Amino acid sequence: MEIDSFLRDPLSRRRFFAGSGVSIAGGSAMFLAACGDDGADTGRVVPTTPKEAEAADVEILNGALDLELMAVAAYKAGAAKLRGDVLQIGKLFIEQEQEHADALTSAIKDAGGTPNRAKSSYDFPELRSQRDALRFAVEVENTAVAAYIDALPKLTKTDLRGTASAIVTNEAEHLSVLLGALGLPPAPRAFVTGEAG
Amino acid sequence: MVPAAIAGEERIAIVDGDADSVQIAAFERDRRELIRRGLAFGGAVVAASSIPLLLSVRNAFAAGEADKTILADAIRLERIAVLAYGKAINTGLLSAGVQRIAKLIADHERQHADALTSALTDLGLPGPAQPTVKDIDSVVMGIGDVKSQADILNLAIELETAAVAAYHDAQQKFYDAKLLQAGASIMASEGQHLVVLRQALDKPPVPNAFETGSK
Repeated sequence: MEIDSFLRDPLSRRRFFAGSGVSIAGGSAMFLAACGDDGADTGRVVPTTPKEAEAADVEILNGALDLELMAVAAYKAGAAKLRGDVLQIGKLFIEQEQEHADALTSAIKDAGGTPNRAKSSYDFPELRSQRDALRFAVEVENTAVAAYIDALPKLTKTDLRGTASAIVTNEAEHLSVLLGALGLPPAPRAFVTGEAG
Repeated sequence: MVPAAIAGEERIAIVDGDADSVQIAAFERDRRELIRRGLAFGGAVVAASSIPLLLSVRNAFAAGEADKTILADAIRLERIAVLAYGKAINTGLLSAGVQRIAKLIADHERQHADALTSALTDLGLPGPAQPTVKDIDSVVMGIGDVKSQADILNLAIELETAAVAAYHDAQQKFYDAKLLQAGASIMASEGQHLVVLRQALDKPPVPNAFETGSK
């Protein structure tokens, strides 16, 4: 699929991210699955037994790990189209997404879980130019921001919330650089929620 | 844990930890030593002098056990940021392009303050008292001593870094789910401000994979 069609069609985007193990805001079954109904109803963090809490955190963290592994693959796929300073940005962001994946992997192991692995391949849209690669990266980063903000209240351990907020802020910073490279306003909104546009 | 002040070539890093008067005094000794050795230069003098106060703000922000306290601290911080950017714009030291950036960020900070004030009102409390220009020094010192655009940009980076640190701590304190999410979206916005400000100073825009406000 061409990037234009991909970005125009919400269903295609949803299918792609769901197929990559990643859910997006408004339909985040993966993240919600780790949260009890009570939490969804009251909007509050629901205390659970330590074992249940760890299992819930592991499920959320594995969802986030899926997303980070996909982001690494997406930047690697797009890197072939990048040149000069923008290529250096792409390389830096691959490293930083990998750092997020590594941190999440450690957190999952610490909680007694088994980290998910990267998929053998991802069905990315066709990226024909640097602009295509940047626009796809913006989509990936927006999805990441939305997913992390969705997941934050469902994490039961406060230190994990700290880590997630540090990652989501970094993803927002990536967005800022990518938007600037596309000639768009780098900080278009006062509240960064991962909404496109 | 005593926060370690580490002198790098161009920056001073703080290892995360609670601040108290003993720690601040220890940092002050280190800072004076750095300045004596000539490692603090340009805007970095301003930046370095702000750090003990940054720590105290961070500590006060994080110390609130209840959402209401955290919200009140966050509103104060955002309103002080609005005042600081307004004062920076009025110095006449900023180029047209950097003025536009400062106005945009000030507008964002105002939106943050308004949203947080609404949240506090929803919890049945009035907004905190409006800070004055004098209160800027409680977050970042030196706004009255800036001599160049670079000084102002460095000061703004310190201010935004303090905000990121405060929201990062708040993420571990907020109880309400919506406040956690609102706090994260604001923290992310402060991160984007950092990118714009760093780029204006030709600094690496995203130096760390985890933006915690601790460096």
